[in-house]
Formats: sequence, C-alpha cells, structure tokens
Amino acid sequence: MLAPLAHADAPLFGLVCRHCGDACDDGRVGGDQGVFCCVGCQSVYTLLTNEGLDRFYACDIAPGVSQRGAQDRAADRFAALDDRSVANVFVEFDDGQVARARLAVPSLHCASCVWLLERLWRIEPGVLASEVDLLRQTVRVTYRPKETTLRAIAERMAALGYEPLVTVEQPAAAASSSRRRLYRQIGVAGFAFGNIMIFSIPRYANGATLEGGFQRLFDALNLAFALPVLLFSAADWFKAAWQSLRTRHVTLELPVAIGLGVIFARSVIDIVSGTGEGFMDSFSGLVLFLLVGRLFQQKTFEQMAFDRTYRSFFPLSVRLERDGGCDVVPLERVQPGDRVVVRPLELVPADAVVLHGPGAVDYAFVTGEQTPVGVEAGETVHAGGRVVGTTLRLRVTRAVSHSQLASLWANPLLRVPKKAWITDVADRFGLGFTMAAVGLALAGAVWWWPDAGMSARVAAAVLIIACPCALTLAAPVTLGTAMGQLGQRGLHLRHTGVVFDLSRIDTIAFDKTGTLTTSAAPVVVEHGGLSDQHWPLVRAAAAESVHPISRALAHSGEARGAVQRLLETPGLGLSATVNGHRVRIGSAGFVGAPFGARTDRTHVAVDDARGWVRTKAPTRVGMEETIRSLSRAYDVRLISGDHDGDAARWQPLFGRAMAFRQSPDAKLSLVRSLQADGRRVLMLGDGLNDAGALAAADVGVAVSDQTACVVPACDAIVAGGHVRDLPAYLRYARRARHVIVVCFALSVAYNAVGLALALAGALTPLASAILMPVSSLTVIGISAGAMRWSARRMLPA
Amino acid sequence: MSVIVLLICAGGLVAGGFLCAFLWAVESGQFDDTYTPALRVLLDDDGSVSPSGSEGAVHDQSRS
Repeated sequence: MLAPLAHADAPLFGLVCRHCGDACDDGRVGGDQGVFCCVGCQSVYTLLTNEGLDRFYACDIAPGVSQRGAQDRAADRFAALDDRSVANVFVEFDDGQVARARLAVPSLHCASCVWLLERLWRIEPGVLASEVDLLRQTVRVTYRPKETTLRAIAERMAALGYEPLVTVEQPAAAASSSRRRLYRQIGVAGFAFGNIMIFSIPRYANGATLEGGFQRLFDALNLAFALPVLLFSAADWFKAAWQSLRTRHVTLELPVAIGLGVIFARSVIDIVSGTGEGFMDSFSGLVLFLLVGRLFQQKTFEQMAFDRTYRSFFPLSVRLERDGGCDVVPLERVQPGDRVVVRPLELVPADAVVLHGPGAVDYAFVTGEQTPVGVEAGETVHAGGRVVGTTLRLRVTRAVSHSQLASLWANPLLRVPKKAWITDVADRFGLGFTMAAVGLALAGAVWWWPDAGMSARVAAAVLIIACPCALTLAAPVTLGTAMGQLGQRGLHLRHTGVVFDLSRIDTIAFDKTGTLTTSAAPVVVEHGGLSDQHWPLVRAAAAESVHPISRALAHSGEARGAVQRLLETPGLGLSATVNGHRVRIGSAGFVGAPFGARTDRTHVAVDDARGWVRTKAPTRVGMEETIRSLSRAYDVRLISGDHDGDAARWQPLFGRAMAFRQSPDAKLSLVRSLQADGRRVLMLGDGLNDAGALAAADVGVAVSDQTACVVPACDAIVAGGHVRDLPAYLRYARRARHVIVVCFALSVAYNAVGLALALAGALTPLASAILMPVSSLTVIGISAGAMRWSARRMLPA
Repeated sequence: MSVIVLLICAGGLVAGGFLCAFLWAVESGQFDDTYTPALRVLLDDDGSVSPSGSEGAVHDQSRS
C-alpha cells in the first residue's frame, strides 16, 4: 500500500538537460546519450545528431528550447494551416512552384537558433531556404508547395522546439514597410541638407562677396533641394498636424509642424523677393535631425519589444461536431447552427447556446472578471469566454468575426485598471507644455515684430526647442528598458506600467503550493485507504487536472478508465465519473471524509470507499533566504489554500502572518482588506486557486514552471526558478523610478534654458534643431543606459 | 566662373547617384534586419549547400 518513490529527495541542481539546460530533478531519461529533462528534448537531440546537425550544440551550451509540456499540446493544432484562407495570412508569395511564408517564432533567442532554423531544408524535404530575423523573431521559409506544406513545416519547427505562432495577425511585415519609408525620408533629407550646406558656404564665410547672379542661383538651388524635404521627408508631421486640427486634439506634432512651416514660408518669401537668402539649411537640417531621432526611438522600442512577445489567446481552429465525427476547421468556416466542442481552458469562438450542461465559463478576457459563471443547457455563452472545469458542447448562434475576437484582447477594461498613470501624467504635462510653447512663440514673434526675419526665427526656434519630446520619452524608455531587462532575467511583465507599480509595493503575499514549493515535481510520498483496483481510476481522474497535487497523483502509477463529467472546483477539489465509479479528490469536507480525518492530507473517494494521499512538494531553492531578506523591508504574508499540515515549516519565516485553508474568494478578500488599509500589495501565486487575488492585487505575479500555462489576469509571470530573485527585481523597479525622476528634471531644465535662449533671440532655428534631438537622445541614453547598467549590477544573470 | 555651374551639375549628379543607390538598398530589404546578419557570419559553415543554391539566407527583392 505504501509506495515511497525512489528519488523523492533528489537534488534540485547538479543535473541539467543536455538539450535545453534545465535542471533535471524529476527524471533522467537518456541512457548513454546523456541526461535529458524529458523525452521531447531527447527526441530533438536524436533527430539533430542523426541529421548531422549536432553542431547546434557547439555554438552554445545547451541552447535548445525545453520540450516539457510539448506533448500536452494538441497534435492537430496546425491543422488550420491546411486551409488556404488561413495559410494566406502567412504566405507572402506563391506561384505554384515556389512559395514563401513568414512565421513568427517567439522562442527564437540565440545564434544557435539562427543556425539551426536556417538549415531547416536539411531536415524537412521541400524546403528551399529559410531566413531568420532574430530581433523581430520571425522566420521566412521558401519551399516547394508540391513537396511540402506550410502545416508540415510548422509541425517540424514545433517538433524542434520552435513553435510558430498561428495567430490572426500577420507578423512584422507592416512594420518593415513603414521602416523602409523612414529610411527613404532620412536619405532624401540628408541628401538635401548636404547640398544646401554647400550652396550656403558663401553665407557662412561672412563677408565673402559673390557676384549677384550666383547668389540668386544658389538661393534658387537651395529652394529646389528643400522642396522634396518639405513634400516627402517632413510630410508625416504635416499630416499629423492636419489630423490633430481636424479632430481638435492637440498632439506633439503640431508645434513642430508650425515651426517647420514658419521657417519654410519665411525662407521662400526671402528668396523669391530677393530680400535675403532664407534658412533652407536650418530647415533641411532640422528635418534630418528630427527623423534620425525618430529612427533611434523606433529602434529603442523595437529592442525593448524583443523580449515581451505578444501572444494572442484566441483559438484559430475550432472543433466542429458533424455526423458523429469531430472535425477541426478554421474559425472563419464556423456558421450559425454548427455544433462545436470546447474543452476546458479553450475559448468560446462565437456566441452560442449550450447543448449539454452544466458547465462553467469565465469572461476574464472580456470583462476582466475572473469568477466563472455556471451555465446550464439552453443558456447562451458569449464569444471570448473561457470554458472552465468541464468540456462544453455548443451550438453557434451568430457568425464568427475574427476582428471581434482580436479586439477583445485590446479591451480597455483589461488594460486601464489601476495602471500606468505615470505615462498619462507625462502625456498631459506634455499637452500643457505644447499649448504654452505656442503661446510663447506668438509672444516672442510679437516682441520682435518690427524685424520680420528675427520675429520668424524666434518663433520657429521657440516652437522647436519647446517640443517636450525628452519629457514624454523619459518614462516609456526607462520603464520599457526595465521591462526588457527583467524579461531577459526571468520576470515577464504584461506592460511597462507594472515596473512602476512594482516600485511602490509595501506588502507581499505568497501563495504556498506552486509558489514557495515547486509545482514542477511534487511526489506522492505515501497513500492508503483504497484497494488496488481503485487507484488507477483515481489517477485517471487526476490526469485531467493541472493542479500540482493531481499531477503528482497522476504520475505516481498506472492510470486506467474513461473519465466523464469532470468538474473541478478551485480550492476544493475535483469530482468525476470514471468507468461508472464516482471519484472525488480534494479536501476532507469536499470528499466527505469521516469526522476527525487528518487535515494534512489530500483525501480521495471512489464511490463509498475513502482513502488519502500525502504529497511532498520540495521548497524552491533559496526561498528561506529570499523571504528573510524581503521581510526586512516589506510586510510578508503567507496565504495558502491548503491545509496547515506543514505550518511549522513556515513559522520561522512568516511568524503569525500566515493564513491557511483560504478559498479563492477568501484570498481575494484578504488582498482587498490589505488594500483597504492603504497597503500596496504584491501577490505571488500559481494562478490556479488565486486568479482573483492576482487580479485584485496591485501587482499580481503568476509563478509558472511551464511557460505555456497562461493566467490572463496577472500583471507579470515569473519563471519558477526565479522566484528567489524577487528582492532583486523589487530593488531594480525602485531604481527605475529614481531614473525617471532624474530624467524628468533634466528635460525640464533643458526646455527652460532652451526657451529662455530662444526668446532672447540667441538661438538660431538650426541650433535649436540640433539641441532638441540632442536633448531627447541624452534622455533616452541616460534612462536606457542607467537601466541596462543597473540590470547587470543588480539582477541575476 | 562658369566652371562653377559645371561643378554644380557634376556634384549634383554624383550625390544624386548615391541617393539612388541608397534608395535601392532600402527598397531591396537590406535595412530591414540589421541585427541577424552580424550573427550569421559568426556561425560555422558545414560546407553544405541548400537546394536554392546559396548557403543560408537569400535576399528578398520583393516589395513586401
């Protein structure tokens, strides 16, 4: 009856997977090939060595992508790519002989990945070539459609650990065309600026006399060169300004456009009337520097976006029930009246009526509300809802709209709450600043009025110098860089505002199971009470759940039986019918264990027979030290949904601030009551029983031992091995706030000094054109540089 | 001084030529990815040649 497992206390470090470099504490597959964390990693290794691609492992140490959890993904998830309408989203070119497609691959991360994926043709016949763009994380594959299909290529890449994203959006192509336009604009502006400077040399060499005819010729040439700059290079500012006038919404482009217009108009009047030589050099130089600043800004943002890969959570294909069979079809094909099958954690593709109940759906994606809603047969469920607990069969009532689904993720309800006010402040401040600048420019122009040339120059200089670009850049660049750096080091944030929220935290609440302990490898230490033929049924039911204890139970031996009517109640347990037997797993009360049953165990019941399981989840490495160091600066608490069987283990760390047997609702109200006391709470949990608390906390951090598992309500996801780095992350977030304050002060000083000089007439438009991007660049440089440097100093590698 | 006119024309032509070369380079996708090619040269060749006739990447001439 008692079945202690052999390596229950195996060390958590020492052995690493030969393919992906993860710690292999829970299994040692591989034999004479070396150590692997899972069968998936070993099969990739075998494939690569057999194909003579073992050089992959020479480029880097264990560069592969972990295959753990790969077998849990549906085998037919790329089936939709067989449909032309879906494939066309990715195919850029196809003449029947040769086709080219671009796929987004978020797991691309190093030079070895580039090497391997550009040799895809050696493994997949029919592929002609593949080209990797590492920064945008895309692969462009050229192949013969007669010999292979996009689906086969996608499946091959997934088998290697590079799972392509089959989302509704086309990756990166639009971004690259707008980037090309910016390069062209810079080229034209640079060309014009250089030539205009040459023709302006006589004017720079003060006092050099030129025959009148040549002076006129040079001025006319300057005008000719400046025209393409006005019409092409600077077009975006004028368009944006026009847009902002039409919508009566003041943007930062407006003063710049006015400034550019004033200089150009003044110069044209000068040249045409022959009264002066104009300032075409200032004009084209100004546009060039502004464009270069814009390019640099884009590159910075792109670099930051590299690590936060955006995932679309919406299913692209749907299971359709037809004539007794089950078909996987692309979403667009679903018609009203079709019957679809939606499994737990999948999304409802369209408004539909439930055929068989009861079931449950949560609308976290639509409303942000985590609590599942029970649904009965005949009730309507809405697109974007996520099925919880048990599989639902639905009849679709309304046509599916992809864009409607995609817009759900952009739902402001999911983004706005409690967040990112700092960027709003900067924006609003920038707006006031812009209005003031226009006013000041007018005042300056009036002051210098009798001298029309001086008046125009002062107005232009003021307008250009006042542009608060540096001010509005400080917060996004600092937070964005911090977000990217944190992402590289194990903490993935949902958006940049979370960095700021992290810096203001004063209370930290930990969940226990899966957070303080590792959920990757809990083991069943002993079990008893049930007869031998009952345990396989229990394991079969447990295999349907993602709860750590269930997983441990499922892996503790043979599972047998067909599971029906599974219902999982977060915080309590699950019940199901297996081979006609009613199986329950969970707390003593849920299972109906006799009075006085020990509460430090998980209870199971098969029909009327009662049994129990004791699992042991090892504490994460370094957690004691982490909590001790956190409790020096923060109020640290433990909020657990489990029994208090091992309270003694945590007593020295948390003292009295421990709460056990908390239901998901109780966790939520605990967090709310802490917030009511004016505290700013960071909640760490695995997202299974504490999704509500994670959503309510000022920062909800989901701990994930398996990055494929997604908790929609959390603000951040931390890899299991990095939980112990929490103190460093928090210190780093506070550093980010200090950097922002410094950058704000700096850019205000820049603008104040520049404005004073410009009003006094001491600053030419050209000087302000150089000074303005320089101020933006110094702010970007300081904020990005400081955050990178601090990341190296403060964060773990 | 009329030589100046000649010089201006010549200078304009040369500069215009370089501008065109730059615009062509942008259009042919050479500026689309300025990061990965730097890695590519560091990777060892294993002497194999892909069926498209070139090792590794092929350049995109299309307007995407």
